[in-house]
This record gives sequence, structure tokens and C-alpha cells, in this order.
Amino acid sequence: MSARPETEPGLRPRQLFTALVVVLLYLPIVSVVLASLANTRYLIFPHRVWTLDAYAEAIGQYTTAHLHATSFKIALVVALISVALAIPGALAFARYRWRGRRLYQRAILLPVFFPQPVLGLALLVALSAAGIVPDWRTAVFAHLVWVVPIVTLVISIRLYGFDPAQEEAAYDLGATRLQAFREVTLPAIAPGIVSGALFAFLLSWSNLPLSMYTTGADTTLPEWLYSRMATNYSPQVPAIAVLSVAASALAVVAVLFLRALRRAVGRRRTTSSEASTLAHPARATP
Amino acid sequence: MSDRTGPGFAPARDATAQEQLSVEQPALALRGVTRAFGASRAVDAVDLEIREGEFFTIVGPSGSGKSTLLRMLAGLDRPTAGDILLRGRRVNDVPANARPTAMVFQSLALFDHMSVGDNIAFALKMRGVARTERLERARGLLDVVHLPASYLDKPVTQCSGGERQRVALARALASDPDILFFDEPLSAIDNRLRKLLQVEIKELHRRTGKTFVYITHALEEAMVMSDRVALMRAGKIVQVAPPLEIYDRPTSRFVAEFMGEVNVWCAVREAGGVALPELGLAFPGETLPQAEGLLVARPEKLAMLGEGGGAQAIVAGTIVDEFVLGSRKQIHLRPDGDASRPIVFGEIPATPDAPAPGARVRLGLAFADCRFVTE
Repeated sequence: MSARPETEPGLRPRQLFTALVVVLLYLPIVSVVLASLANTRYLIFPHRVWTLDAYAEAIGQYTTAHLHATSFKIALVVALISVALAIPGALAFARYRWRGRRLYQRAILLPVFFPQPVLGLALLVALSAAGIVPDWRTAVFAHLVWVVPIVTLVISIRLYGFDPAQEEAAYDLGATRLQAFREVTLPAIAPGIVSGALFAFLLSWSNLPLSMYTTGADTTLPEWLYSRMATNYSPQVPAIAVLSVAASALAVVAVLFLRALRRAVGRRRTTSSEASTLAHPARATP
Repeated sequence: MSDRTGPGFAPARDATAQEQLSVEQPALALRGVTRAFGASRAVDAVDLEIREGEFFTIVGPSGSGKSTLLRMLAGLDRPTAGDILLRGRRVNDVPANARPTAMVFQSLALFDHMSVGDNIAFALKMRGVARTERLERARGLLDVVHLPASYLDKPVTQCSGGERQRVALARALASDPDILFFDEPLSAIDNRLRKLLQVEIKELHRRTGKTFVYITHALEEAMVMSDRVALMRAGKIVQVAPPLEIYDRPTSRFVAEFMGEVNVWCAVREAGGVALPELGLAFPGETLPQAEGLLVARPEKLAMLGEGGGAQAIVAGTIVDEFVLGSRKQIHLRPDGDASRPIVFGEIPATPDAPAPGARVRLGLAFADCRFVTE
């Protein structure tokens, strides 16, 4: 094997670079946290007074809960619908060869390359032409236009790594087409589906340009943050922003936790089946 | 070992019953089976009979249509013309999941998200066998393919190349199929392991008594394992015979050259015998079925003669190259005389004092060791 020791002493350029990237990525969030601990009506640093007043106020307010609820509702529905659409979409994208596939592969990615404010405006015009009054549901639709292509791509990447002979093998071993999909293809792409759903949730949760045009009377978190930043600023704005970061972090942690839980349950199931076959040796010999 | 009847397969059928069955009807019969893709025919009017309990290998270069043929036999593809008869029953329209056959895929196609046990037991799960019972069957099959029972819960992604091969074998055996198909399963593993698995597959064939249909582009694999070999070229079967026969008595130049290094000479029938004009050789008193054609001779048929030794015909020349094959070595000989004469392949013992490149040797050849073939 390599003659190099596994851990190198001292800080190497690689470690320094990594540290630099991490700092640059997270510094802005830290600054928001710092801003939320002030009691001034404008952004200034360093503070003269350090206080949690803004949090106390924000948590006590109906607006905070309502904003989170609206954004959560939209993000959840977007995540569910986008996965439902993206699974067949990804199969068409990456698994099956059919006439027109190349055109489809390009067409489906087009919304991602559209500037979001333009897309939002276009959707608003289309909605009013159709006589639909915008509210959170039209925002769901707008988010889907932008998010479904991305989720399709995420699941497609997983499908490209999937050996289609596995489906044939399942079929050859007596599975129906549906069983082959359920038992083999779906579990194989499940990690892609989970990542796709998480992506969809977070992209919707933090979306501003599409929401601004399409939520109508409903207000999402990013919309509220933006408008209060522009006018009527108070430390409540960064405080609610920090809470919303915590909420999205919670979503990621929840997914990781569920994944770990599933793995643990899977392990227990196989070991318990082991135990049951050992417990009934009579059954073992047919 | 031969009398073992572990779970997962029926004991070998008794020989006389098997003989009768094979006389009555073949395990698989192909009648004019064709698979066309647009204008090209990947498989072109193949007629074939595969006997019950036979180890039958289809060998051919890449793109010869052997994989397409196998996929049709397994029910993963449908012929565009012709019939496939499984024990006398036409199965053209029977899909793969309803055929009593199982396939070991080239990529193995193991289910990566499952444990070894769940992979092996998959076919049983599809048949509604309870989990406890099917894992018990899987445990038995692990033993059949020489894997420890502790592998039952091991994720299949953590298995080595050889272990994955064995899991794929066990998985195909789980449904107790009448016929097993192998689509070049050993093409991607190292030589030593391949040899070991060849022996194991052959042993498995003997123990189960099932019909094995194996495809490969590796000649040596076909020679080592098969009862009969079919050679395929451009969608057609060009010769079917036991391995030694197909090696010794090829019917065409393609077969002769595919089966290993071989000398190919033009031969002409003359009044006094057969002449090889390219080498200036003659076999007096011999004859050919046609006025002219090709004669092929394996290198090992051209043996070294002592000075003045006798043979029907003698090729003398200078060694230009040598390839050691263990105790013997193949030599490339430039014949004396005209420079346009073809290089002759011969075989001599690889002793330390054997002639090396640059040395002059005389190789003897008997007409009986040559085969007349078509182009």
C-alpha cells in the first residue's frame, strides 16, 4: 500500500482550504445570528446590548407560526407532488429508450434555466388570464414548475447507476413487471427519491422569486423576510430568519434520522428471522 | 458428493429415464428461430436441439448473436420468426416469468439493496413461500455453492467477485428450474477464479442433472465444460459437435480458426495425389472431395523430425518466433524457398536444448492429420 501515513501532522494546504470554504459558507449565517441578538432598529455591529428579546417577541407572535405554517404547507405539498411526478419522469429520462427521449430530456430541464422572476411573472399572467386567484396553492404549482425538473434529475442520476438487468433478473425469477418494479427498481432508487424529496422541500421552503408573484394574499417566510428587510426592519427579522434556518436544518436531520432508523429496523428484522429459524428447527427440513 | 440431494434441486434423474426422454424429445428445440432488428438479423434461422441434462455451450465472437439467442430462449426477447419448443411445448409467447428456466446474467444483476439470503430467496418470495421457509432454502443453497451459512444476512454489495458469482448461481437454482442459462457469467473475473468456478459449475451440472445452456466468447471455457459446443457466426450456427470433435474436425475455416491457432493451406486435387502449391508440398496417393479447397492442420500435428526422419510431407525452414505453452512451445516457421510462402505453425517440446528462433528445423506432416474445410 501507500507509504504515506494515514494522518499527516500539521495543517496542510488541503485542510486550510477546506476550513476557508466552510468559514465562507457559514459566516453569513453567523452574521444573521449576531444581528438577531441586537435591540436596534437598524443593522449595526458590534452591538451595545446583547439580548434575546427579538426571539422572545418572535416566538410569542402569531405571525411567526403562521409564516412557518404557510411555508411548511407549501414545501411539503411540493415535495410530495414533485416526487410523484419525478419518479415516472426519471424513468422516462434515464431508464427507457424511446423515440423523442432526447427532446424530452432537454425540454424538461428548460424551466431550470428560466430566470425565476420571469417564470414567476409568466405564471402570474397565465393565472390571471385563466381567471385563477393566486394563493398558496398557485404557489405550489409555480414551485413545481421549477422543482420537478431538478428532482427528476436527482432521481435520474440514481437510475443511471442502476443495472436494468436487475429488472430482467427479477422478471426471469418469476416476478411480474409490477413486482419487479416494486421489489427491485423502487428500492434501488429509493435514496434518490429521498434526496429528491428533501431537495424539493428545501428549494420550496426558501424560494422567494416565484412566491412573490404567485402566493397572492398568502405570505411565505422568505417573502415576509424580504419585505420587512426593505421596510420596517427590526431584530425580529433576523430572529425569524434564524428560526427558519433551524426549521430547515430540522428537516434534514429528520430525514437522516429516519434513514438510520430504517437501517436499524432492517438489521433487527434479519436477525430476528435468524432467531426464529433457529427456534423452529423442525420447520427447517421440509 | 454425487448422491447429495440438498434443497434447491431435484436429485439427478436416473440415466435410463434420461436417455428415453432425450430420445423422445429434446429439452429445447429451435426451429428456424430468427430475430430481426430492422433489416439486420441478429439471429438468422437457427435450428438446434438441446438434449435433456446436457451441458450445451454456444460460443462465438462478440456480435455473433449468441446473447440475443439466449435472451429468446429465456423469454426476455421474442423471435420474429420460427419456434422455440421447451420439452415439445411451443413457448414463443410464454414470458420469462412463466418459463421453468432461470438465467445467470453477464452482469450477474444481483439485487444490490438486498442481503445474500434475500437475493437467493427472491424467486421463492415471488412464488409466495413464507419468509422463514425461503430463508431456510437459501441456507441450503449457500451450502450448494460453497458459501458459509453466515452469509445469509450479509449485504450482497459486501461480497467479493467470486462470492457474487456464487450468489448469482444459487439465486438461479432457487426456483428449481428445468433449464439454466448462463450469459458469459465468468467474463469479468480473473483467470484463477474463473478456472475454479468453471469446475464448480461443471460439478453443479453433474450434481443437479439439469440442462445447462452456456454462452461464452472464450473458447477454452467451452472446451472445458461442455458436452456439446455450437459455434455461432453472424447469427447462424456453423457447427455443432462435442468439444474435441469441433477442435479436431472443423467443417469450415471459420470454425478451425476460431478454435485456436491453425495452418490453412490451399489444396488442389491432382492425378497423382493432393498438392499444396503454396508450400510446394504433395501427398501422393491422397485425394480430396473437391477439385480444390482448403486444408487445415493444428500446430501440434506438425512435429519435429530428426535429420533424415520420415513423414508423408516435410516442411523445412527457420524458426522466426516461439510461444511457450508449458511443456511444449508453438513455433512460427518460415519455410525454405520462395519468400511468399506462408508462415507455418508447428509445436515442439519446450526443453532447454530445443531449437530456438533462428534455428533450422524440419517438421513432418501426415495427410490424415489435415482436415478439408470450406471457406
